[in-house]
Amino acid sequence: MTQMYNKVTDEVVKKLVAICGDQYVTTSEPLRHSYMARGIMGNEAVLPECIVRPANAEEVSKILVLANENLSPVTPAAGGLSGGFALPAIEPGGIYMDMTRMDKMTVDTENRVMVVEPGVKSGDAWRIFKTKYPDWAPPIPDGAPPAATVLGDAIERGFSLVTGVYGPQADMIMGMEVVLPTGEIFHTGSWALPGAKPFYRWGIGPNPDGLFLGSQGSMGIITKCAIKMVPHPHYKTVVAYGGETWDDIIRPAWEISKHEMGIAERTVMVQGGNYELVMTRWPKENVPVDYEFYKKIGVDQKWMNYECWAWSKEELDETLQGIDKIYKDYEVREKRTLPQQDLHPKQVASRLKKPNKIAIPYSLWQAGFLFITWYCPWLESGEMMEEYCTAMENYGFPPTMWVASIDHARQAIVMPILCYDSTEPGIFDKIREFNLETTKSFLKKGWINYRPDTFVHAPETFSKAKEYYKMLVKFRKVLDPNLILHPGRLAIPWESVSDEPSPLQE
Amino acid sequence: MTSLEELRKINARCIHCRACQYAYSGEPDREGEDETYTGMLQGCPAGLYYGWEGYFNSGKQWMARAFLNNELPASKELLEVTEACTTCGMCETQCPNYIDTVHVTEALRAAIIEAGVEPLDKHKIFGERVRNEELRNPYKEPREERTKWLGDNIDVIDKDAKIAYYVGCTAAYRQQQIADHTVSILEKMGVDFTVVSDEVCCGSPILRTGQRDAFKEVMKENLDLFKDYDLVLFSCAGCYKTFRNDYPSHSGEPLPFKVRHAVEYAYDLLEEGKLDIKKEYPKKVTWHDPCHSIRHVGIAIEKEILADSKNWLLDSRKAQKAKEAHYEIPRIVLNSIPGLELVEMYRNRGNSFCCGAGGGVKAQFPDLAVFASKERLKEAAATGAEVLMTSCPFCVTNFNDGIKALKKEEEETGKDLSDVGSKLVVVELLELLDELL
Ligand SMILES: Cc1cc2nc3c(=O)[nH]c(=O)nc-3n(C[C@H](O)[C@H](O)[C@H](O)COP(=O)(O)OP(=O)(O)OC[C@H]3O[C@@H](n4cnc5c(N)ncnc54)[C@H](O)[C@@H]3O)c2cc1C
Repeated sequence: MTQMYNKVTDEVVKKLVAICGDQYVTTSEPLRHSYMARGIMGNEAVLPECIVRPANAEEVSKILVLANENLSPVTPAAGGLSGGFALPAIEPGGIYMDMTRMDKMTVDTENRVMVVEPGVKSGDAWRIFKTKYPDWAPPIPDGAPPAATVLGDAIERGFSLVTGVYGPQADMIMGMEVVLPTGEIFHTGSWALPGAKPFYRWGIGPNPDGLFLGSQGSMGIITKCAIKMVPHPHYKTVVAYGGETWDDIIRPAWEISKHEMGIAERTVMVQGGNYELVMTRWPKENVPVDYEFYKKIGVDQKWMNYECWAWSKEELDETLQGIDKIYKDYEVREKRTLPQQDLHPKQVASRLKKPNKIAIPYSLWQAGFLFITWYCPWLESGEMMEEYCTAMENYGFPPTMWVASIDHARQAIVMPILCYDSTEPGIFDKIREFNLETTKSFLKKGWINYRPDTFVHAPETFSKAKEYYKMLVKFRKVLDPNLILHPGRLAIPWESVSDEPSPLQE
Repeated sequence: MTSLEELRKINARCIHCRACQYAYSGEPDREGEDETYTGMLQGCPAGLYYGWEGYFNSGKQWMARAFLNNELPASKELLEVTEACTTCGMCETQCPNYIDTVHVTEALRAAIIEAGVEPLDKHKIFGERVRNEELRNPYKEPREERTKWLGDNIDVIDKDAKIAYYVGCTAAYRQQQIADHTVSILEKMGVDFTVVSDEVCCGSPILRTGQRDAFKEVMKENLDLFKDYDLVLFSCAGCYKTFRNDYPSHSGEPLPFKVRHAVEYAYDLLEEGKLDIKKEYPKKVTWHDPCHSIRHVGIAIEKEILADSKNWLLDSRKAQKAKEAHYEIPRIVLNSIPGLELVEMYRNRGNSFCCGAGGGVKAQFPDLAVFASKERLKEAAATGAEVLMTSCPFCVTNFNDGIKALKKEEEETGKDLSDVGSKLVVVELLELLDELL
């Protein structure tokens, strides 16, 4: 891997202090280490050389201009909850931009849009909505802890609390304020017109949103976004149905979701998994590992949860009856037994809770976990999970698997959770090998990784999608001529993330 | 497990999710009065004060990991960031991975010092004084005057009894009224107890600040002194926590005697029907849970149950209930007082916001201590209570310092700061119990 950046010098630090103030710039070695993470979604991260905490878009712009002058790489982070993905990936670590000081939020209930800066965290947004706008909900990630941000999740095109109906979080964006790597600040959508509200995403011309929402900070830094807020009716519940095979949970969910209107519209969240999803939330040595135990406590081998929101009890009942009828018909037609789970009210309450800590304990199984996220057409997800589980077992990982519907079961997000012991020597190499093997196989099948790992998924994908990569490099060079923004998930510059031949050379 | 190396696997459970920065991180829909106190809200005093990730537990866990992996050397700078934490354990309550966050922080402090970095100046002074056999207390007071506060009541000293009252340095030398009230309560209840003249500092301030060699010396002395008692009682939350939680883990042996904080002892007597408070206390009171005697002990109870469990999935609920039952103890005592109206602060029990004095912060980082005190006073004032009650000498001092700071601000600006706590009266529960009995 070639080095193409300069180190952050004392001179640069002085200039950063002049931009942000002494209080908001540090090169302290302990503090730089305190931002590190290896896990959640990315295991590879290098130490930043300097941390800055800008207050506004103007400061962000000046920092980027300075980074260009010095050729220092810049990595933005909002809540930092994508783990290693929110940190510099290559040496030198450069400037780490902690965006949490920018935490303003405004809410427009008439136009049903909220405007957030990158530091608005789910826990705080939820609290403010709960007290001020109880009939609305902020689009926060469904299963992420409270420090994840609304904007960070949109940048990650995340899985929000209503993704089953509205699509990935990025689809809810109505406009953005972006600082380009060269320092210009501009708005997208109708917001681009001075004085206009962010009411129309396609705004005044071709919309470049996708360049910024799919690149996780590699094309520009987003300093504000206008995003749809969602209605929050208070008749809510969760029902779950079990099964023995992946098809047992995938196919009925497709039948429920595909009509899109009626009961499908009120089924805001469809997600499921296998019993290992319950088991690996506890320490390996302190929990039964035999399925018989889980069977006894009412956990099916596989199951799908349906979270329903409705404006009245009648509407909610109608939705639940509709779901049940589809299941009953399916059982008769396909000769399967797919029992409805008997959920305790506490289980229902826990599944309805947002934000929550439900997924944190996968680190308790041993000491560390990695979420790997793939998209495929919904009905193909069973095949993907089958292959994934086999591969996980081959590599000695428990086959913990989670799946969820995106936009009425058009797509599936399939997410194996690799639970491992991060203190075990060689474990990260093993994970990388596992990732490489599954990635090669899945790409062949036309499935795509949607939060690509800098060193595996991104180069593997782009070495296949060469024309697309060439186009991306063109855009990147226009926006970021010195390539100062971190390579993120784009594999640009190629040499910084891969030793394989660059697609540009062919 | 006490050394950082022994805690490696536990520290490695941290994924850096930052849930530990929030009080009620698992309760987004917790009802509250207003936007300030509803749902989950930030709860780490040092993190709120300094803003940088390294001052939150989430950042500290990663500094500890880097230190363990030899990526981050021991340095004064590292020690300073690590010491600027009240070790209140709010973070530990939040962690669904059951990471012993405070142990990791304390072990990191110790490891940095063991690697050759001098303790921070104020902490070093504590250490030297406690190490000094002529003193054995952090206040530089003569050892032979440790029981001077008893005045003429010398009959209770070194008496043949099965129950001992461990006074602790603060009540012996600084806040003698707490010791007086405790003794008076025990006498009124007819408890046959003694005060041991040779008791030495429990070691809490030096253990918290990473000076473990001196801690071990005083721990051994105390264990030896008290080993033949059936029960040792405490009026200091910090000493109690140190004996109850830290002595077994640092000595590797279970305690040879039972321990109870005086408030817990009052609760025991209430439960046994031996305590009946008749006098009225017609005041609106809010209760501040001292981190040491409430949260830390509650967490220890929970983890002790899990340590014996083969099935955490089934037993975690039971463990949590036992922890929560511990949090009720002071409330049961307060509710037994006729006329007293208890109004809870929003952050309470395991989610309580620290007074700001613990972990060596009061001496070394006084601005942080006052910041936290004011934050808590504001929350106390929001309940409409006139009295802020607690049972810990450090909480009492730090709240009074916070109120002093608010009063000074009132004088300087002419503003009325009663809505953020300037008119609150801080009362030690033991003092009240003594008055009412
Ligand atoms: C236990 C757990 C559960 C989770 N569950 C979910 C879930 O249910 N749904 C879901 O979608 N995600 C989930 N996640 C993943 C993660 O929480 C989300 O992706 C998160 O919302 C990201 O937001 P963040 O603020 O933490 O972003 P960060 O991690 O800070 O940033 C995300 C990416 O965007 C870049 N970036 C940050 N700020 C900017 C900016 N201003 N401009 C440009 N680029 C920027 C970063 O470099 C990084 O690559 C979970 C994570 C954990 C730990």
